Amino acid sequence: MKRDGTFYINPYLGGIMLGLVLFATYYITGRGLGASGAVKSTVVTTVHAVAPEHAHQSGYYSQFLSDTTSPMNNWLVFEILGVLAGAFFSGALWGRLKIKNEHSPKISGKTRLISALIGGALFGFGSQLARGCTSGAALSGMAVLSSSGIITMMAIFGSAYLFSWIFKRLWI
Amino acid sequence: MKEELFVSGRNIPNIDPFLNIWHWQIPVYLFLGGLAAGILFFAALFTIMGKADKMEATVKKAPLIVPIALVLGLFALFLDLKHQLFFWRLYTTVRIESPMSWGAWVLLVITPLSFVWVASYAKELKPGWNWKWALLDKIEAFVIEKRLWLAWIIIVLSVILGIYTGILLSAFNARPLWNTSILGPLFLVSGMSTGAAVIMLMSRSAEEKKLMGGIDLLLIVIELFFITHMIMGFQAGSETQIASAQLFLGGPFTVPFWVFVVILGLIFPAILEVMERLGIHMPVIVPAGLVIIGGFIFRFIMVEAGQITRYLY
Repeated sequence: MKRDGTFYINPYLGGIMLGLVLFATYYITGRGLGASGAVKSTVVTTVHAVAPEHAHQSGYYSQFLSDTTSPMNNWLVFEILGVLAGAFFSGALWGRLKIKNEHSPKISGKTRLISALIGGALFGFGSQLARGCTSGAALSGMAVLSSSGIITMMAIFGSAYLFSWIFKRLWI
Repeated sequence: MKEELFVSGRNIPNIDPFLNIWHWQIPVYLFLGGLAAGILFFAALFTIMGKADKMEATVKKAPLIVPIALVLGLFALFLDLKHQLFFWRLYTTVRIESPMSWGAWVLLVITPLSFVWVASYAKELKPGWNWKWALLDKIEAFVIEKRLWLAWIIIVLSVILGIYTGILLSAFNARPLWNTSILGPLFLVSGMSTGAAVIMLMSRSAEEKKLMGGIDLLLIVIELFFITHMIMGFQAGSETQIASAQLFLGGPFTVPFWVFVVILGLIFPAILEVMERLGIHMPVIVPAGLVIIGGFIFRFIMVEAGQITRYLY
């Protein structure tokens, strides 16, 4: 195993390990993993700090606001802090701690960043319509045999096949 | 009997049932004071050890931050005062039993000394620096000649300053969370650790970074030990101190304290520093930045939490 940033774990082994993490999360906390929830809490807190009236009037933001606790007081926020810390460890251990913009040679770094931003925004929007992202709805949902989890997984991967073909110029 | 008097007896806004008089100014000062004390301590220590040229960031560069930190910190303290124009009264008396008096006098001496320290390295840091007046050149030559003496004075005062940031709180016998004598050493060690982190950030020499990283690691371990003992001491104390420990053991400060101070501000950077020592490359900004942010949050939590602990229930 080299520490020059070229070593990656076997994807099947990685998948099994991720499943075990999910299993442990259910066992320890009694609930599944999530990622978009932390982003949502951050967005709600930011909107509430900048425009409190708007946040209270909005049907979407207001459901996460309470007078007693901050939306940041949510376990997913802390889980994501742990994810960042763990990812940093892994990056340091395998020599991947470098700031770089990986992109296809056919496109510029700028195009890569803009398309990532658009894709990310669409995914964030979609995850809120679906009440969860790949981690919270699809993975955690499927782990408990929830039909919504299976539908989400099929929709995410099905549409990914379709859109990756349409936008293949951006990444091959 | 006039019961209405008993009722009005506890009507003391902002003091009872909770103290609500110290806001952001105090933790900001405690952080900046501790940071300044830490940097000055190492600058003086390595000067006394005769390693001023090897430890350039520690002795020459990082002290540039000290006068700025002290002036900003003192300004924050000044903002906190109710009767600001009477601050000079602190200097009309010396009270050996009052931490406030110790702090006021130490700051009065160490702040100008920190300016003198920085000024004495001006020519080395900025070649071509000119003092314009011959008198200033003479003073500079005198200071450079007596730098070792200055270092001895500063090392003693910096320890007093660092401890004082904790004792300022622990002298409050009416607030059980603060009323523990371990707070002085704890704040001193935490201030030294943030000072070491700033030096690591400013250093360009791998050897200096490694040495300061090792010192910081040791300080983090001592700090964790002090925190453990502080909580054990509370748990073995009176009912009011047990109640104040509960703020961190299930109460409202549990998550910010353990997540941001202990895990992200101490344990995680300590592991990163150990990894660095094992030869795994680590961008110094991450452990150093986390130590600094952790120290900052620690002071906010201690000031906030201490104010809601009390003897009267």
